[in-house]
Amino acid sequence: MGRLVYSACAKDCGLGAYVSIMAASISGYTFSSVCYHSANSNSDHEGFLLGEVRQEETLSISDSHIGSSEFLNVIEVHNHEPCTQLFSFYDYAGNINEENLNRILKDRRKNVIGWYRFRRNTQQQMSFREQVIHKQLTHILGIPDLVFLLFSFISTANSSTHALEYVLFRPNRNKYNQRISLSIPNLGNTSQQEYKVSSVPNTSKNYASVIKEHGTEFFDKDGVMKDIRAIFQVYSALQERVQAVCCEVDQSERVKEKIQEEVNKLKKEIALRKRNSAEEERRLQEAAVVMLPDNSALPDSSHSSLTQVMLSGPSVEPSLERPVNSSSPPIYSTTLPPDSPSAILLPRPQAVGSPGHPSPSLGLGNGDGSSSDSLNRQATGQEDQEDDEDSSEYENLVSEQLQPPSLTETVLLGRPATLWPDGDAHSPPGS
Amino acid sequence: MKEEDLHQSKDPASLQLWMTGLMRPEMSCTSCQDNVLLRPLHGRVWKMNSLSPEVALSRISPELRPLLCSVVRNGRVGLDSSSCLRITDLKSGCTSLVPGPCCDRFKLHIPYAGETLKWDIIFNAKDPELPPDFIFGEDADFQPEPSELPHLASWDAGKPECLLQLVKELLQQYHQYQCQRLRDSSRLLFEYDSLLEDPNYGRSMEIYAGLKNSWTGEFSARFLLKLPVDFSNIPIYLLKDTALDPGEDVALLSVSFEDAEATQVFPKLYLSPSIEHALGGSSALHIPAFPSGGCLIDYVPQVCQLLTNKVQYVIQGYHKRREYIAAFLSHFGMGVVEYDAVGFTKLTLLLMWKDFCFLVHVDLPLYFPRDQPTLTFQSIYHFTSSGQLYSQVQKSYPYSPRWDGNEMAKRAKAYFKSFIPQFQEGAFANGKL
Repeated sequence: MGRLVYSACAKDCGLGAYVSIMAASISGYTFSSVCYHSANSNSDHEGFLLGEVRQEETLSISDSHIGSSEFLNVIEVHNHEPCTQLFSFYDYAGNINEENLNRILKDRRKNVIGWYRFRRNTQQQMSFREQVIHKQLTHILGIPDLVFLLFSFISTANSSTHALEYVLFRPNRNKYNQRISLSIPNLGNTSQQEYKVSSVPNTSKNYASVIKEHGTEFFDKDGVMKDIRAIFQVYSALQERVQAVCCEVDQSERVKEKIQEEVNKLKKEIALRKRNSAEEERRLQEAAVVMLPDNSALPDSSHSSLTQVMLSGPSVEPSLERPVNSSSPPIYSTTLPPDSPSAILLPRPQAVGSPGHPSPSLGLGNGDGSSSDSLNRQATGQEDQEDDEDSSEYENLVSEQLQPPSLTETVLLGRPATLWPDGDAHSPPGS
Repeated sequence: MKEEDLHQSKDPASLQLWMTGLMRPEMSCTSCQDNVLLRPLHGRVWKMNSLSPEVALSRISPELRPLLCSVVRNGRVGLDSSSCLRITDLKSGCTSLVPGPCCDRFKLHIPYAGETLKWDIIFNAKDPELPPDFIFGEDADFQPEPSELPHLASWDAGKPECLLQLVKELLQQYHQYQCQRLRDSSRLLFEYDSLLEDPNYGRSMEIYAGLKNSWTGEFSARFLLKLPVDFSNIPIYLLKDTALDPGEDVALLSVSFEDAEATQVFPKLYLSPSIEHALGGSSALHIPAFPSGGCLIDYVPQVCQLLTNKVQYVIQGYHKRREYIAAFLSHFGMGVVEYDAVGFTKLTLLLMWKDFCFLVHVDLPLYFPRDQPTLTFQSIYHFTSSGQLYSQVQKSYPYSPRWDGNEMAKRAKAYFKSFIPQFQEGAFANGKL
């Protein structure tokens, strides 16, 4: 629908403003029908336009106004009533004969919204007689916004080109040059635009009777198509299912998350126990070699025995005694230190021979006989006692090369600062 | 243009058209296709891009032609009746399949208050009995009252003058419409009202109001007044001398107000060709400038009086000349060789003094007796070296404009006697037999 170019009035009420706008639309078939009647006449041609006027109100709120209303008066031309000849309802002076007018319009008088005139090779301007007639029609028909549609057919001198021009006038207060833009839906390049369904109602009686007769097969009692209701029900059901599935997914995701956390936790325990058991095994071996040379009953596959870890159960202090004649690998219950960061406080093993620093403990303890500290040492690679380098190189080397792969993740997450034997806590390099 | 310039056309129709002055210059003769130079109508040359009346009429639908004939040939409306109505832009309201001539709509050019109104007139060739419709061009606000157009309400296509009469009625309403527009300026409205009260000017006034000054954009207006000067006593000979079809004798005063406060006023006097010639040409009459702070009701009578005085002077001059010639005829009797018996502007005498015969040519000027007649003495015996008769012109001799004809004749006779010896000597000395 074409929007308007003419604003009838605008008022500022203080709080807001309202604008009255007028637009006009004519269906393609009505327009072509008028053109057909006109072009086939050998003289000027005239008739009446039938339709209705709708009013739409648009309320818009913006920062500049508290609120503004826009009234859109839409003139819709549905049909036309051609006059058979000129001067059929008025005389030479332009005085309208109401009787003749009623004979032409019959019961369609109430549908009149304007009238039209077709004249060839003339200006697009209301003529003297048209103004006189329009004024009277406005009064007789009681339509203040009566419109006048003027068709002009312009031909070139050699009749090679013909142009049909049309202008819709909406005279107001003796001003006969005010125009309204007239839109014709789908008259244009429909490949670029969407094909529009005209809002002009179908006034055909035959159409109405057929629809009434067969309508119950397609429409329910409310006038809504049945298929639409069915589709809507399917849509609703699908929506419900989707909602339910969403909930299930949510729950399963949460369960999965918990399980994942447990798995990670247990993996860490496994890794720690592995490491500890490996250390224990190694120490036992070394101790056995030093103290009892003939006592070479070292447990075999210590590595493999160390891998057996009890996933549950209270933490058990590892036994200092090496198993004798043991065929089954020792089972170590590993216990993660209650507070991993407590390893931060463990004394950092020092390289052998490093001055000013206590010698690194060779066993599981740190020299005072306690053994728990060794278990609590973080696998930062700092317990490598075979390196004779100085402390910094030792720390770096151990930290970078000898850390167990299973505990790599823990290392990367944040290597805690270790406590120097002198009581200071130092952050490991690279953290 | 002389008669012999006219091509001897064998076509009586084209000859008749020439006689009525309606054929356009440089138009081909219909019978032999020769170019003929013809007299333009009313001294106005047709523009090359406009249709002559006859060409326009030939394109009009035959049923409508009588109406248009009346407009084109007899259509003089308004004060400037020397300008005819003109039609252009002929178009047809029929389909292109209808064979011509079938034009039934055109533009009518109407001179009004120094402007040219261009009104569209729309007929229907298929319904020639129906009255026309009008589009008033740029005057879209002009809405005449149909009840005051009797020739529209009782339109009769059988009467050829019906359209012309309808146009005149519309023009009357148009005049009222323009006068109404003067209300935009109280100053100009005063000018109009004051002129309206004077019966000499109120009935012969055209106003074109609402003009916008192209520079300032201000409201402006033009008054065109027909001056109530009586030209009927101008001797017929003065009018006949023109090579143009005289038309009606009229003097129009155009006063343009370029602003609403009348600070820029430009008057102009328009005379019909015959009057202009009778008064001695366009340079003979100069009107005074519009006085600052003045008004039309004072200025127009002033111009009118000036023109009237001029006309009276010319008329008196004619009578005075006639009296002069009559007196000379009386005094010189058989000595009069010839004289202008229509305009009384020339007189030739053949006189003899002591067996010496000579001619005296008397030329009376337009503003005689204010201006002295010229006497030309001519010997009948002697020639100059160029082969002309020896002559001497005398412009200063005893003369008074207050003398009557008799006195002038007597004084002239006396002067002849005193001057002839001197002339004779000169003729013998300078001329040759």
